[in-house]
Amino acid sequence: MRAIAAPARIGRFGLYAFLVGTALFFAIPLLVVISTSLKSLDEIRDFSIFVPPSSPHFAAWWKAWYAACTGLNCGGVHVGFWNSVRILIPSVTLSVLAGALNGYALSHWRVPGADLILLALLLGAFIPYQVILYPLVKITSTIGIYSSLPGIITVHILFGLPVMTLLFRNFYAGLPAELVKAARVDGAGFWRIFVSVMLPLSVNILIVATILQTTGIWNDYLLGLIFAGRENQPMTVQLNAIATTSTGEIEYNVNMAAALLTALPPLLVYFASGRFFVRGITAGAVKG
Amino acid sequence: MRIRNLAAKAVLSPTVLVMLVCFYGCAIWTAYLSVTRSALLPSYQFAGLFQYVRLFGTPRWNVAWSNMFLFGVLDILGTLGLGVLLAVLIDRQVHFQSVFRTIFLYPLSISFIVTGLTWQWVLSPTIGFQNFVRGLGWSDFVFDWITRPDRAIYTLVFAGVWHQSGLIMAIMLAGLRGVDREIWRATRVEAIPPWRVYLNIVLPMLRPLMVTCVVLIAIAVVKSYDLVVAMTGGGPGYASDLPGKFVVDFAFERANIGQASAAAAVMLGSVLTVLAPYLYLELSRRDR
Amino acid sequence: MSGVVVCGLSKSYGPVRALRGIDLVVEPGDFTVLLGPSGCGKSTLLNAIAGLDDIDAGTVAIGGVEVTQREPSERGIAMVFQSYALYPTMTVRRNLSFGLRVRSVPKAEIKRRVAWVSELLQIGGMLDRKPSQLSGGQRQRVAIGRALVQQAKVFLLDEPLSNLDAKLRTEMRVELKRLHHSLAATIIYVTHDQIEAMTLATRIAVMRAGRIEQYATPDVLYERPETLFVAGFVGSPGMNFLSGSIGRASVPVARIETDAIPLDGYPLCSSLNDGREIIFGIRPEHVSLANQETRGPVIEAQTLFIEPMGADTLAWFQHGSQRISARLPPQRAREISGKVRLALDISQVSLFDPATEQRL
Repeated sequence: MRAIAAPARIGRFGLYAFLVGTALFFAIPLLVVISTSLKSLDEIRDFSIFVPPSSPHFAAWWKAWYAACTGLNCGGVHVGFWNSVRILIPSVTLSVLAGALNGYALSHWRVPGADLILLALLLGAFIPYQVILYPLVKITSTIGIYSSLPGIITVHILFGLPVMTLLFRNFYAGLPAELVKAARVDGAGFWRIFVSVMLPLSVNILIVATILQTTGIWNDYLLGLIFAGRENQPMTVQLNAIATTSTGEIEYNVNMAAALLTALPPLLVYFASGRFFVRGITAGAVKG
Repeated sequence: MRIRNLAAKAVLSPTVLVMLVCFYGCAIWTAYLSVTRSALLPSYQFAGLFQYVRLFGTPRWNVAWSNMFLFGVLDILGTLGLGVLLAVLIDRQVHFQSVFRTIFLYPLSISFIVTGLTWQWVLSPTIGFQNFVRGLGWSDFVFDWITRPDRAIYTLVFAGVWHQSGLIMAIMLAGLRGVDREIWRATRVEAIPPWRVYLNIVLPMLRPLMVTCVVLIAIAVVKSYDLVVAMTGGGPGYASDLPGKFVVDFAFERANIGQASAAAAVMLGSVLTVLAPYLYLELSRRDR
Repeated sequence: MSGVVVCGLSKSYGPVRALRGIDLVVEPGDFTVLLGPSGCGKSTLLNAIAGLDDIDAGTVAIGGVEVTQREPSERGIAMVFQSYALYPTMTVRRNLSFGLRVRSVPKAEIKRRVAWVSELLQIGGMLDRKPSQLSGGQRQRVAIGRALVQQAKVFLLDEPLSNLDAKLRTEMRVELKRLHHSLAATIIYVTHDQIEAMTLATRIAVMRAGRIEQYATPDVLYERPETLFVAGFVGSPGMNFLSGSIGRASVPVARIETDAIPLDGYPLCSSLNDGREIIFGIRPEHVSLANQETRGPVIEAQTLFIEPMGADTLAWFQHGSQRISARLPPQRAREISGKVRLALDISQVSLFDPATEQRL
């Protein structure tokens, strides 16, 4: 085994030093929020948030979950949590399914204008929400779903269509065309092939798509604010309302606990899913 | 008459319809509104560039518009720089790679609301960094950018870089890993030090990927809403406003559809300006 | 010009022993080819000599200097890779000069060397193009040029022709041989193609499963293979192998099927007893149709089929329970059928022990 020369060792040390320093930059904000959420208000007043708690306790968490106040009511973020869940499950399921079907149709079936559709989807993925916000409000209120649960779900499916379709299309296009051809020769049709041939091969990409959509929809703020309606406000909206309410003394520990509770579900998904998450964000980013 | 591939077309038709109406139709609608005399209520009377003239005469919009460039350039430079650097360092086969990658990527799973709030707290002069350093003994230490009108916009860069560098790192790392290993071996024989290999050989090879990264960050900057809302609320006053927030505020709170549409049209124009040359280059590169 | 001396080189990848105590001496000016099937360790050996991979045991010396602990760039070597490994975003000129510039070679010297190499390899017209604009053969030449420009003591080439089509390969073989002569360079070359090896090498190291089976000139490998493997690997079409045993009567004979073939002239070890099992090896070109003038041993065989190969035809015969092939001129091959009498050239025979596979 060759020994590493001295200059190389210093370089190596510098490399690790930089990485550790950057890791601290990334970790400290989260650690600070966690530690402050475990403090009492006095401690927050007297010391900065960078100082660890002397006797950590979960009182602030309890309050955040059950009794935190937005400007309107004091029900705690658990209300927002369940709203977000009710929004999440149908939205993710339907948008992933829609993406899979569309992607499959575009990749293995000859459809006129397929390239144009793909280009339109690619462009559509980049359109900022704000550009079509007002017209969408008008359309959804005309249909009668504005400011309701079906409304927000529909909007999430809508905005998920381009990315999901492109994701699945690229995946299915990478599967050999002979699979579908052989199945068609055997007499199978569009749906049969999808269920029996495509889906079994899609486990990985389904996981990736689900993670991508779950993270995106859970973390959404703007669409939830506008389209969900007062009774269905997702957790992010409630969180911001809680944190920006300025009546009386700011209960930082409660606000931080609420923020952590809001961040926890996608964070857990992230830690559990590892490389699937990475595949999701890089695939979602490097489209087409 | 039998329609070929009926099922595929049937599946795609709703998507195509929805894309046309909701994405493109609504965008055109907004664009049209921007050339009418709409105010509180939409009017469909053509008014030329009235809204745009008024828009660029509004101080708040001009602040938001120039903020977008300030924030954008710094965010792109910071995120790209840090992301590429981290990818290069991790590519040097360090130990604990997965630990580092996990730490650098987790902010992507957190919503912009939580990110904004977290950084608001960290940079707060009262409880955050300034307070901490003063507590350590430097009682004259000042870091109150987040409350200063002339500096608030820059604080967004911290949060932006923190959130997105991991994405760039993941994309660039995948690119670095795809570089032919024999090129690396050739450089070892030629005595070319690793930093020069990255600078002169590998990173130039990944130029298209880096352009993709820049486009992604740029478009995210244009769309920014959640981050501003949570971190500074656009303040103090409107000192840290961004076009994304301007549009939503004017569409809903200020109820001026005409101004909101004009601002949204400008946003769309910005996105297209970034996107069009990129897509053109990408597509012509594919054809070759 | 420098030699390379490898002593006791061993390397394992986990449980797999890729190199088992290799000893190799490459004289200055040699064109040594490492030849063998995939997985035999030839590329591993080349990489070990280059210093690109670490080794578990043994030493490497280049030009008399021990370099085992040194980085590839400090060993005085230059390498040409299978996929050429040209730097894609640089022009040919920069590809050639980049390594020199990094090593702070004076500009005038760089210019001189680039000009020399472009002239030598006929790549002057491509200097301002990028690798993606060149054909496979042109890229190959630039890769060789990049190696030459470093003016190393030893050149290592890792299957450089395997990505080229057949015609180009033949042209490049001629080029390489010409280069070897004009530069008088020491070259170590890896390939699995034995025709390449036979035409290019001054000496060939035939490798199998991490060991060098024989290291000799092409002629010796062809005429006096030391092991069964070498005998079967070198030469196309392959050597005939017939099972039999030794007979010691008045003259030593090889008993094959029902025949007793006299082995006069064959340097047989006296320690080999009567009845000792052997493998009798003879190349198809040393098997011919017997006629009235034939003096040597003759066997009878039944014609099976013929394989036309252009200049010659390979004819297959059944002899007892074994098969034997012979290289015949196409005319004669067409005429034969049924039982024939085959003459064997005993001076070209190789005998092997079936168990150890060594030459007897």
